[in-house]
Amino acid sequence: MAEVAPVLDPEKSAVAARGAPSTGAGGGGGSGGFMDWLKAPERRGPLLVAPAIIVLFVMNIFPLLWSFGLSFFNYRANRMKEPDFVGFRNFERVLTDEDVWERFQTTAIIVGSSVLLQLIVGFLLALLFARQFPMRRILMMLVLTPMMLSFVSVGVFFKLYYEPTFGLVSWVVNMFTDQPFALLATPEGALAGIILADAWMWSPFVMLLVLAGLVSVPKYLYEAAEIDRASTWRRFRTITFPYIKSLLLLAVLFRTIETFKIFDIIYIITEGGPGTATESIAVNVYRVAFQNFRTSQSAALGYIILFIVIVLTNLYLYSVNRRQQEAI
Amino acid sequence: MAIRRDIGKAGWGQSAFAFAVGIVYFFPVLWIILTAFKTRPDALATPPKLFFTPTLNNFRAVFFRQSSTGGEGQATDFALYFFNSIFVAGTAVLLAVIIGTLAAYAFSRHPLRGNDTYLFIILTTRMMPPIIVIIPIFLMFRVTGLAGGYWGILLLYTAFNIPFSIWLVKSFFDELNPEIEDAARMDGATDWRVFFGVCIPQIVAGLAATFVFGLILTWNEFLFALLLTGVETRTVPVAMARTLGGNVGADYGLLAAIVTLFLIPIFFVTFLLQNQLLRGVTFGTVKK
Amino acid sequence: MSIELRAATKRYGALTAVNAIDLDVADGQVLCLLGPSGCGKTTTLRMIAGLEGADEGTVSIGGRVVNELSARERNVAMSFQFYALYPSLTVAENLAYPLHAEGLSSARIRERVGEVSQVLQLDGILARRPGQLAEGEKQRVAVGRSIVRDPTCFLFDEPLSRLDVQLREKMRGEIKEVLQGLSRPTVIVTHDQLEALTMADRIAVMRDGRIEQVDTPHEVFANPANLFVAGFIGTPQMNLLEAVYDRALDGGRGRFTMEGGQTLSIEIGAGIDSLPAGATVTLGIRPRNLKIVAEAGEDCLSFSIDLIEPMGAETLAHLSGGAGLRLVTDWRHPLAEGEQVHVCFPPGVTHVFFEEKLMTARHRMPVDEEHAA
Repeated sequence: MAEVAPVLDPEKSAVAARGAPSTGAGGGGGSGGFMDWLKAPERRGPLLVAPAIIVLFVMNIFPLLWSFGLSFFNYRANRMKEPDFVGFRNFERVLTDEDVWERFQTTAIIVGSSVLLQLIVGFLLALLFARQFPMRRILMMLVLTPMMLSFVSVGVFFKLYYEPTFGLVSWVVNMFTDQPFALLATPEGALAGIILADAWMWSPFVMLLVLAGLVSVPKYLYEAAEIDRASTWRRFRTITFPYIKSLLLLAVLFRTIETFKIFDIIYIITEGGPGTATESIAVNVYRVAFQNFRTSQSAALGYIILFIVIVLTNLYLYSVNRRQQEAI
Repeated sequence: MAIRRDIGKAGWGQSAFAFAVGIVYFFPVLWIILTAFKTRPDALATPPKLFFTPTLNNFRAVFFRQSSTGGEGQATDFALYFFNSIFVAGTAVLLAVIIGTLAAYAFSRHPLRGNDTYLFIILTTRMMPPIIVIIPIFLMFRVTGLAGGYWGILLLYTAFNIPFSIWLVKSFFDELNPEIEDAARMDGATDWRVFFGVCIPQIVAGLAATFVFGLILTWNEFLFALLLTGVETRTVPVAMARTLGGNVGADYGLLAAIVTLFLIPIFFVTFLLQNQLLRGVTFGTVKK
Repeated sequence: MSIELRAATKRYGALTAVNAIDLDVADGQVLCLLGPSGCGKTTTLRMIAGLEGADEGTVSIGGRVVNELSARERNVAMSFQFYALYPSLTVAENLAYPLHAEGLSSARIRERVGEVSQVLQLDGILARRPGQLAEGEKQRVAVGRSIVRDPTCFLFDEPLSRLDVQLREKMRGEIKEVLQGLSRPTVIVTHDQLEALTMADRIAVMRDGRIEQVDTPHEVFANPANLFVAGFIGTPQMNLLEAVYDRALDGGRGRFTMEGGQTLSIEIGAGIDSLPAGATVTLGIRPRNLKIVAEAGEDCLSFSIDLIEPMGAETLAHLSGGAGLRLVTDWRHPLAEGEQVHVCFPPGVTHVFFEEKLMTARHRMPVDEEHAA
């Protein structure tokens, strides 16, 4: 009876290779020891992640920690004085500062209005693009262009559009009111200008998500609805909407997190003005840190913002998971 | 098992309406492009001019300063700025994709305890307002002498792109069929062979998409570039802001030319990536 | 209320999916469209439903030509292969869905849903969503959604194809019961002949957009109109042997020369007269009809057994010789691989196909008048 080679070679089997601690690889002492330790299967994961962790730590985590530390002192970047430990005083000061609350309010108005606008416009755009028509691809690319521009570009040109004398917007309004229209002159106007620019830039983002939802509805559901003689509204409510609901939520959360950080566009268009009417929280931190040099204070404020962002990001990831599990 | 719905056809009315809306939405961008071809008086004309005789002066002026004697003036630094943008963004994103891919592979194939927590922290570093780290980083750079040079901003942009790369590439790895890797191992392939020979080839398109999306994000970055690049290393967005300078009589034709030139690569590359758009803009968290 | 198709045709570019077919389904009758994938059966069903438009020909329901009517206007009920249950609605809401278009009161709707739920035993799962249902439950809800209403006809697209074998057996019986209670024409599309044979009053076997045969299940089984139907219906597949027709013998028998030289004299029946001598024909006989006999005879062929497949209550034997003959016997009949056997072709069960058509139509079974065509 001939000897049959083992069909399943235990040393090479996938299970062993997948990272179960191998008994031989522990290695003895000596120079081979460290390399062996390094090469052991269970080291693999951490080893691969190491470069990323190192870079992120140095450029993100470390500064974060430093900044966190800073917030407990009264450091000011333009003074040579040694910083004193002040505990929670900066946080206290920031949280009780009326100006700061005002900035939060401003930011909330901007975020709320812009995201709402993005939702509506994005949804409508998605409806428009839900079906095939000639040149749909090109047109969609055109509609996506606002997202591709840098905030600076958008800022520069929307500033021009809002210009009372040469701006497009002013000119159009002028046709109806016969008066020069300076949108950015009033606080409300300036806010509106910012919100409009931001919403214009990012509505296509919402469109992309909603479109993905619209297109993912299986054709046979619509056929069944047709057979069942459902009305258009009924069809939307019971079939279409559930598919886009989760994506809409993701869009809202994502855009909220991103819009919360809004800085560039405000900096360029209004620099926070008139006065401080359009100063978002991020602009405020910048000003306090780099123009007023109240470094520690801005660090404290920064941390409060970070906390909010962490909560929002948590929410976002939770929704992503929920959606994947439901996997309609 | 869902059957993908083929997009039905729209009627005439709806097509025309969609067309109109699309053009209107694109109009502000169109105006920028048009302005790039306008002479100075045309650009600031009231009422705004839709029709005009185009000129290439602005594009020329981007790269060459007007000479008072009428000949070709001396070169501006914009060629340098464009180069900087390309070089800095390109290198940083490339590094980020490499590092990110390794990490993504680990997160996908060698999940650790607390995998989700790590991934969450990584995503948060991307989501948080840059403003928070700007102060320490600025100080760090000053202390280590990295400010103004290439290394500093390169490192920063790499860190900037790593979270997004990890999430995106991980989403690609997660979609691979593990049976193929098992089969390769059965055939005696080492883990490195499996990684380079089996996994990577399958997601090459995804890696390209990740690279391009990173490029798009980094290309337009302003805040850090503003604070951390020097005269030699300035990128285009910063140069643009400086050209604006805050005065009303800014040369919008010139600015428009810069914006248009700066937009072209992104537009082109987004067109190539149409299929991965959704995944890209949501950092890999939404795959459809 | 009957369904009639006349020369109905559907094309997709250069491909003709449904090629000028004629079909009749009477009130209360169950017709199965049976065939391999790509034969056009689902397209035909969708043409009746109104989800596809006919390029040529007419589709009529209840005597009225409905070509121009949309699916909604035709008031048909359809159960989809993938169930098409509305994922965000509960089972009860799914069942009630079609009733909203009929302007019934909520009380009446609830009543109807309750009735259907009882019939299909859905009472326990009314509050669940499709995502939480088992495959068999989903299938019953899909059927339920069809029978809750009073449509012009019932259409089923591969109702059991997604169920596993055991579930399928159980559901076949249940559905058949439900179908018998319906008084409208019903068309079922399936690729599973067992389903067709058990559930249908009449079967239309389709291939490449055409109907090969329309008949009762028994006739399609016992008297397949051509080679395709013969090979399609019946498991294990009918043995199809090439032979050359030598001449007629007395007693309605004919002599054939098989591949490999053996001759066979078997009872053929009346159709023998139209066979030209020397014609190449195909003999068809089902594996279960072949008998192993102890001694060779004129109506027997000799082969050795190549392979034996035990099938539980029966045994399948593959015989040697180029013909690839297979026979099925009771498991108790002892067979050994390599054994030489004489295989007899009993009278009355062999079909002769000349130029693909059946020459030997035999006694039709008397048909129950209720389900007559």
